[in-house]
Amino acid sequence: MIPTLLGRWHTRLLLYVFIGLPVTFLYAMYLSAWQWPPPFTQSVFYYPFLFITLILVLGLVLDVLYIQIQRFNWDQDWPFAYQAFFMVLEFFIVFYLMDYGILDYVYPLFPDGYIPFSTAAWHFGFVFVLSFLAILGIFQIFLVRWRFKGGELGRHPIR
Amino acid sequence: MAIEISWQEQGASATGSDGQRRILDGNGPFHLGRSSSNTLVLEHPQVSRAHAEVTVDGRTVRISDRGSQNGTFVGGQRISGPTVWSPDTQVGIGPFLLSLRFVEAAAPRPIPIAAATRDDRAPVAGPPIVRPAAAPARSAFPGRLFDQRIVPMADLRATGRIAGEYNYVAVGGGCGSFCWVDHLRIFGVPASDIRVIGVADDKRPYAKWGRLCRNSQIPDHERIRSNSISVPDNIWGFPGYASREMVRDLLQGRLVGFKHVIQVFGEPALTESYTPRIGDVYRSFDVEAERIGWNDMFLHGQVVGLRKTDDERFVVAYRVPSSQAPDQSSDQRERFIVARYIQLATGYPASNFLPDLQDFRHAHPDSNAVVNAYEPHDEVYRALEQKGGTVLIRGRGIVASRVIQRIWEAREKNKDIRLLHLVRSPVKKGQKYDLARRDARNDVEQQPFNWPKSAWGGTLRVRLERASPEERARLLANWGGTTTADREDWNQIIEQGTREGWYKIFYGNVAAMTEKAGKIVTRLESTAEYQENVDLVADYIVDCTGLIAKIDETPLLADLIKTYDLARNRAAGQGAELRLSGIAVNTAFEIPGLQNGRGHVWAAGVVTANGPYAAVDSFLGLQYAALRSVDHLGALRAPSVSRFGPLKSAREWVKWCLGRAP
Repeated sequence: MIPTLLGRWHTRLLLYVFIGLPVTFLYAMYLSAWQWPPPFTQSVFYYPFLFITLILVLGLVLDVLYIQIQRFNWDQDWPFAYQAFFMVLEFFIVFYLMDYGILDYVYPLFPDGYIPFSTAAWHFGFVFVLSFLAILGIFQIFLVRWRFKGGELGRHPIR
Repeated sequence: MAIEISWQEQGASATGSDGQRRILDGNGPFHLGRSSSNTLVLEHPQVSRAHAEVTVDGRTVRISDRGSQNGTFVGGQRISGPTVWSPDTQVGIGPFLLSLRFVEAAAPRPIPIAAATRDDRAPVAGPPIVRPAAAPARSAFPGRLFDQRIVPMADLRATGRIAGEYNYVAVGGGCGSFCWVDHLRIFGVPASDIRVIGVADDKRPYAKWGRLCRNSQIPDHERIRSNSISVPDNIWGFPGYASREMVRDLLQGRLVGFKHVIQVFGEPALTESYTPRIGDVYRSFDVEAERIGWNDMFLHGQVVGLRKTDDERFVVAYRVPSSQAPDQSSDQRERFIVARYIQLATGYPASNFLPDLQDFRHAHPDSNAVVNAYEPHDEVYRALEQKGGTVLIRGRGIVASRVIQRIWEAREKNKDIRLLHLVRSPVKKGQKYDLARRDARNDVEQQPFNWPKSAWGGTLRVRLERASPEERARLLANWGGTTTADREDWNQIIEQGTREGWYKIFYGNVAAMTEKAGKIVTRLESTAEYQENVDLVADYIVDCTGLIAKIDETPLLADLIKTYDLARNRAAGQGAELRLSGIAVNTAFEIPGLQNGRGHVWAAGVVTANGPYAAVDSFLGLQYAALRSVDHLGALRAPSVSRFGPLKSAREWVKWCLGRAP
């Protein structure tokens, strides 16, 4: 991958909307035993959404750091291996920030402050695998310009 | 009918220097001058670099001065404009006297890479010209009509030679045109509204590229310096060559298939970059060409001119090769085609041939010991395998690496082969850019591809697009230059050869080349530090210095640049003339100076070198150029061109997978 900073942000939001949110919805439905209508106010339902959104927010911040790391590569690229490593790293950071209740100091998102690791890991695992497949090539089926724009959406401007 | 020009230095016979002669086939223009880029090189300080020009029209030969310092003389008179040169008059250029005569056919053949050739098996021995066959001069065809910058359609119709009117015409029958036409077809344009004019007898879009690859020792099973997603047969870049190769290997029960995808996962930081096999690339071209109806769109012809028309379109004049014409009349062979949208992708005009090696071949026309890596030269390796010998390689870079590998393979059959490698200067440290430094090993800088990867679409692409022309030249010099692929096997060959003593590298410039007892002796220039004579004695010399990117050696482009005063890009380096590079295009690859109302012209490939995009001479770069120009067509609301949103894209991708026509 050869992302630009804007491309990282676009792609991250794209993954969040088209993979993160749908997968999280299904996972939350599963955790709340497929109740209908979904129990929007219960932590078992909305915790996964908070979790995945926190990863998004952390990622958007870390992207600024990643783009600097790229400058140490002659090719100024971002190998898929790095992508996988840092995605998993983001998961652990968010999980432990939540687990240790650190985020409670920032904002009391999690009054009871605890998600079992396996619950979070399965959730992340589904999102990770699908996101990775998307950036490996599925996105390109729909977005023919994406790979030439460092991950940014839309057409190139005509100048 | 061809002409033979012979020349002799006045008063030189006393020193024993014989006159020289050259047969020139075609209509020209043929360039004469001191610089090695001329068709006829006249080495003397009194001769200007670009001195004179010769054109042939039937039995009329004209010579004109190209603004030389000391002038051109016909029958003793200094000439100003084009002047008829008859066989009974002599032409004076500097100290040389040139004579002319007509000959029936050109015995020696040039090695043009742009022209149609089927001479893969042609003997290596031959004239030392690695120049394109020059296009016929304007005087013959299209004639006076093209003296105008804007051609009236009424005059054009009056010729009765319009072969067709289309919306889309691609000039050049190679990979650049293929990528453009592939995009057009997938974006919705029917094949009946597109024509491709290509010079090769062989319609396959990779014919010329494949020939250069084969000559430079890339057999079908070898891997090329390209990436998994550089798939010229698939505009989406998915599935790439790596996953296709994995599926095929796994279907055949070979678990090694996983290796390709693991490579893509780790490259270039953890694993060596994945590169596709050239045979797979050829096959993928064939399949896609069939799917989009490439052969139906292809017209055989050498494009000799392009002009704006008075109805906001363009006229392309082309000459059908005799092998393809229904009859040999000029009515059948000299045609016009009219289009609103044009793409120019004529490729590299010629391969490089070091001047001293050219001189040696001039002096020893029978010797087949000095070859260019881009001309057929398999005999060299066959002879080495049988008899052994010493090879001198000139130049570093990807072609040198291939040739070294080929010689290493020959050594498997005959251990009595030694390799001398001559480069101008050592390279111990790679270039630095931003926070990174390029790797250098075995005296060559190494990177997976010919540009840093992000030049294709990432941060470096953005950086270059936003740079000023001066900055651009500097950045391109920094990122590009002569490099080879960071292949471990190639490094090991050189290190093994150095260890075992059959490979040795030398640094320096060549002072002289002589033949002595069937061997070629290359004497190196002495330097301030090292004044001893160094002679490199070899049985063969292989010139691996690459391809010439001087696009104005393509007569069509030279004419366009002159007629429409087109802006040129500048490369880094010395001398304003030397730094002139590709035709300036905007970021959509359009040539602004050629816009004709609603008519537009785009370019792709080396024609646009040193412009706003670095990697123009690559499959992925050609696809990028095609995408940008076809998106531009979409923005212009050109007929049948879709804006190509996500759903249309996915629909077309499914058709690609099913092998259905777009």
